[in-house]
Amino acid sequence: MIREQRLAEIFMEVADSLTDDFDVLDLLQRLSTRCVELLDVSAAGILLADAVGELQMVAASDEHTRLLELFALQHDQGPCVECYRSGTARTNIDLNSRGATASWPRFAARARETGYVATHAIPLRLRDRNIGALNLFQKTPHLLGESEIALAKALAGVATITILQQRTLEQSHIEKTQLQTALNSRILVEQVKGILCERWGTSPDEAFSAFRGYARSHHLRLADFAAAIIDGTFDTATIPQPLPRS
Amino acid sequence: MISDGMADVLRSLRHGDGGVLAAACARALQVDGVAVSLLVGAGRDAEPEPLWHSPGIAADFEELQFTLGTGPTLDAAHSGTAVVVPDLAAVRADRWPGLPAEALGLGVAGAYCFPLGLGAIRLGVLTAVTGRADDTVPEQRYADALALAAALTGLLLEHDGGGDGPAVSGSVTGVPRELHRAVVHQATGMVSVQLDVSLADALLRLRAFAYARDLPLGDVAEDVVAGRLRFNDDRDGPPELGGRKG
Repeated sequence: MIREQRLAEIFMEVADSLTDDFDVLDLLQRLSTRCVELLDVSAAGILLADAVGELQMVAASDEHTRLLELFALQHDQGPCVECYRSGTARTNIDLNSRGATASWPRFAARARETGYVATHAIPLRLRDRNIGALNLFQKTPHLLGESEIALAKALAGVATITILQQRTLEQSHIEKTQLQTALNSRILVEQVKGILCERWGTSPDEAFSAFRGYARSHHLRLADFAAAIIDGTFDTATIPQPLPRS
Repeated sequence: MISDGMADVLRSLRHGDGGVLAAACARALQVDGVAVSLLVGAGRDAEPEPLWHSPGIAADFEELQFTLGTGPTLDAAHSGTAVVVPDLAAVRADRWPGLPAEALGLGVAGAYCFPLGLGAIRLGVLTAVTGRADDTVPEQRYADALALAAALTGLLLEHDGGGDGPAVSGSVTGVPRELHRAVVHQATGMVSVQLDVSLADALLRLRAFAYARDLPLGDVAEDVVAGRLRFNDDRDGPPELGGRKG
């Protein structure tokens, strides 16, 4: 099967990436795009709980502002919040059903405006602990079957391992530090997107693509690269610049 | 989850004198001292300076680190990640040369240091010290300290401009809600280029602008990212620092 082959490749990709100094942000972003590809959904994002238990987006399959905003709305409402609190998946949620979306009408309305008709929330869990959720969106109303849900859960499991790979028993503080660092790195990347799109006269999306492309081809961790740009130790004129928006 | 004791402290964080607050924080964390220092200076040259502390060993421990030029508070400040040392005597000798013995002389056996900041914006460090070493990091203490660090970050961002600062609709216990949105961080990066100022100053200008016009910060940030509002445009320029007068 094509899909199983692709899945095996993805697991290899992840295993290869889990070196001492791997880039958690970049790997989670790749995983998000793989979710879209394998599950045939329109968008995917990974949200983690912060120090006070509110969900923050750490990676997404694409960086469109409207999608990022949908994740941002879920700091206090939405399917991921329920999923994170209960630790159980909520799948095939019809965004046009008033009943299914009754507890988060604002989120559902925004999701529909963005063109989505269905959403899924899969918990990121390690043993008894919930650390966040994988969120999927569809623009077409096909249902995800049992095998696809199982696949989504497997991908959520890979994301969890990726984030908490250094965790050992008795070291829950290391896990919390890693979550915190990943979330803060994400903010740093948004700040650098702003700096680059202003310098180049492009959209934040285009700036991010150029930024990520350079980081990947030069094996730089996104957060380290962003920090070097922000503190001026890296000259951004070196990065191939995207064409300015018209 | 946050302990009841810490929840009480977080609620009272906005009012009251630093020393009293630090003592309350120390009680809630069940440690022997708490100190908060602010980063003064720009970029990589920024050094922490004491802001407030509980009476006794916390201030001594910070002073010792500033004198030696090394220690967990300084590491947390420069790395932007938490540095947690439940037993200073167990630390490799070359990590902070001279520090463990001197610290033990002051009565400090363990230290928990948390950076205060947002992305690349580094504001300061929260340091908690214990007189007795622990084998492991107590889970509740760690969760409470992270929540306290998030709340202090919110507070420092608000008070950065002096006066009563821009109004924010925030949860009492964390970083203001608006600061969870990607568009705000992107706009911060853009404004920092437009005005050639630091990210911290750029965020402050954005918030002052929103406050002076009674607009949500997210709306102002959206205008900046969409190119409808520029801060280096004389006609539609930003107000003076501090925003509203009188």
